[in-house]
Amino acid sequence: MLKVENLRKYFGGIKAVDNVSFEVRENSITALIGPNGSGKTTLFNLISGVIEKDSGKIILDKKNITNCSVNKISNIGVSRIFQKSRLFSNLSVRENLLIAIDNEDLKFWKNFLNKNKITREKESKVKKMLKLVEMSEFENKKASELSYGQKRLIELGRAILNPHKILLLDEPVAGVTPRLRNEISKLLTKMREEGETILLIEHDMNFALNLADNVIVMDEGKIIASGKPEKIKNNKKVLNAYLGE
Amino acid sequence: MGIVIQLLINSLIAGAIYALVAAGFSLIYSTNKFVHFAHGSVIAFSAYMLYLFYSILKFNFGIAVILTILFSGVFGYLLNLIYKKLRERNASSVILLIASVGLLILIESLILILFGADVKTIGFLKIAKGLEIFGGIITPLQIWIIIISLLLLGFLYLFMKKTKIGKAMRAVADNKDVAEIVGISSEKIYSYSFIIGSLIAGIAGILVGLEQNLEPAMGTNLMIKGFTGAVIGGIGSVSGAILGSFLLGFTENYGIWFLPSGYKDAIAFTLLFIFLLFKPRGILGKKWGGDK
Repeated sequence: MLKVENLRKYFGGIKAVDNVSFEVRENSITALIGPNGSGKTTLFNLISGVIEKDSGKIILDKKNITNCSVNKISNIGVSRIFQKSRLFSNLSVRENLLIAIDNEDLKFWKNFLNKNKITREKESKVKKMLKLVEMSEFENKKASELSYGQKRLIELGRAILNPHKILLLDEPVAGVTPRLRNEISKLLTKMREEGETILLIEHDMNFALNLADNVIVMDEGKIIASGKPEKIKNNKKVLNAYLGE
Repeated sequence: MGIVIQLLINSLIAGAIYALVAAGFSLIYSTNKFVHFAHGSVIAFSAYMLYLFYSILKFNFGIAVILTILFSGVFGYLLNLIYKKLRERNASSVILLIASVGLLILIESLILILFGADVKTIGFLKIAKGLEIFGGIITPLQIWIIIISLLLLGFLYLFMKKTKIGKAMRAVADNKDVAEIVGISSEKIYSYSFIIGSLIAGIAGILVGLEQNLEPAMGTNLMIKGFTGAVIGGIGSVSGAILGSFLLGFTENYGIWFLPSGYKDAIAFTLLFIFLLFKPRGILGKKWGGDK
């Protein structure tokens, strides 16, 4: 599904992503783990086009997306959430979700003449998502009025609703309550069963290893290990990177 | 009583014109995040286009108006292409602001070269006797100015709230990076905001052109008033810009009840400075930054 080949990004002398290659299989959860500053978020930013690569190739579903703009990459099929929630603060919760599935036809005259109404199907998708994340009563609240955990859930909902082939989740459970963490874990497992492909960054090793089918471990911009969670748990290099031995 | 009503009428007319200028300006500012001073030149451009089509080329008035409005939209689109080139070279908001002032002067100078410095009159409306309302006088054109402005502003409000482009514009205005992440092309939205803002400025230019004489620098004064209205209402908020413009119109006109009419501009700028000093975000201004 997603193929990253010899990807490189340096910031001055810092090798943020250094010759990284890996593949994410379709219909799987792949966890990207590693200590702080190991290059995980930079890698997400490269895949989603937020920053430009120095060299390398990114292929999604046989399509080269390496030099595409952020919105084009999103429309090709990469949907993501950020480490710190980014919602449209002045839009309502409903509008935040709706905009992810309702921006495909921005033809000027069609909109000008208001012939481009929101379909019932899209409305019902938004309602379902709000129910799923248990936030139906917040539908008309402005996003800026939500708590941190609520913002996280709406951002996750928006990323899921945004038509995609792969979901990039940057620490989806950071800062949420243990109950919500379980709920999100169940939701992601269910999504995989329904055929979703997910690449996630997670600091909580247990959460990542319990959920993922495959694990990629990064340190200092390089991949130091990859494979099944059971294998990664006992990998010496990984333990060294985390414990600094 | 008569003077109160007359000042009320004058305030509404001034507020309606300022609101049209400020709404377009604010729409462009909210999405593009720079002060597009050349917006004033679109007003002068459209007034002169109407003069060209109607008074020189002798087109039917309705056709001249439609052509003027369309040309204003195209003109706005072309202005955005210049800014786009600068954005591609990573120009900051300050560079874009300087470019906009340069464009304003350049376009006004081109109008001066093409049409001359002497004032022009479109002459569509013959001098009409004003209607008397509770001792105040208002001409039919002035009634039309208020009605058309209110209808346009209402239409703009609905457009921003109900259409996909309107929502996408609000999304880009709120957080351009996140809008891109959900698949919205910010470049496309920049173009749309320039086209819509310039269409509105084009209509404002037509109304002002019919009401007053034409001169090449006519857009600058209106732009300054529109900008003041936008700052008072909360820069970046289209509803705020409308509210601020009407407040400006009322303050200016009721101010000259107490002061000589030559102080009209001074009253406007005093109000601007009061807001800049004590409420820089304006009446409906948003908290800067949002969710980043």
